[in-house]
Amino acid sequence: MSLWDRIIEPDGLTTVFQPIFRIAGEGRSTYAYEALTRGPKGTNIERSDVLFEYVRRKHRESEVDLLSIAAALRESRHLPGEPSLSLNVHASTLERDDSLAGSLAMLCAEHEVPLERIIIEIVEHAPPWSGPQLLASLAELRALGVRIALDDVGLGQSNFRMILDCHPNLLKIDRHFVNGCHADPHRRAVLLSIADLAVRLGGQAVAEGIEEERDLKAVTDLGIDLVQGYLLCLPRSSQALRDAEVPAEVA
Amino acid sequence: MRPRILIVDDEEPILLALREYFVPLQYEVDCARELEEAEALLSHVHYALLIADLRLTGSQGNEGLELIRFVRERSPWTRIVVLTGYGSAEIESEAVGRGVDAFLQKPMPLADLAEIASALTRGTA
Repeated sequence: MSLWDRIIEPDGLTTVFQPIFRIAGEGRSTYAYEALTRGPKGTNIERSDVLFEYVRRKHRESEVDLLSIAAALRESRHLPGEPSLSLNVHASTLERDDSLAGSLAMLCAEHEVPLERIIIEIVEHAPPWSGPQLLASLAELRALGVRIALDDVGLGQSNFRMILDCHPNLLKIDRHFVNGCHADPHRRAVLLSIADLAVRLGGQAVAEGIEEERDLKAVTDLGIDLVQGYLLCLPRSSQALRDAEVPAEVA
Repeated sequence: MRPRILIVDDEEPILLALREYFVPLQYEVDCARELEEAEALLSHVHYALLIADLRLTGSQGNEGLELIRFVRERSPWTRIVVLTGYGSAEIESEAVGRGVDAFLQKPMPLADLAEIASALTRGTA
């Protein structure tokens, strides 16, 4: 069986979830779960970074994005509470697949997940994937009540133009700016700038890659209260998260 | 730390034989069966050595040459051995031009291949 056949067979892809927390004083609640796809077990592409590198090289992002969404929605029924679900989609899928919004609506209906719980997180947004169909896909998603997040803000193609084009509800600040920010005023200046931009655009910033208590304190001191990272919770199965006791926000 | 090597061949029996030979020689061994799989691994995993067949699809393509280019761009520290049963002087010249460390004809005794791998990976782990 080829590697591609392993991907598309039933249960070829599995999902783990990493919470995005909202910090409030000393407490925290789960704002959303980001679905993270793992490749077929026992293969070289079980690791997500290798999986998606392989998929991009095969130019099969659209198919795998939809398979990943289906797997995440299927698995999400085991999650605790009913917080938002953040689903990664390549910018190339938004540009190439003019039926994405319809497919998402069908899958959500099938798995009884309200569209208001869905956040589409745009990943790997390199040119030429910023064309008219990408904007049309985003408009269709918004019309369904889906929120939009932009991943890796601050790096590469996640730039001001993408922010203007995509009107994201969430700006996910790349870990590069978060790691070590407690000791680096330059990093804090960037974080503050993006957080301010997010608010001015009617959205919110999320600090990704929190791995140290000192960085967590630094970002919350800057007013960024949505955070994600290994310090707070590793990516885990839905069942393991259900066993943990973190209160969830209702989307 | 054991040197990590990536073996790329579209023939499963060859992959199995090379893996079984190299693992006891204290190498970490990964195997890939197609060009995109190999490139995805090389993008995210550091390998001391790549051993690749010149042809990966049974066609007339020379994917091994493509892999040499990819490795030299992305992972210049990785040493490269290309194996072929269809080599020509022209292709060998192109492979050398692209930066291959050894261009070998199949069949090749495994002991000889292991000796070359050892020389290429010495001090790289």
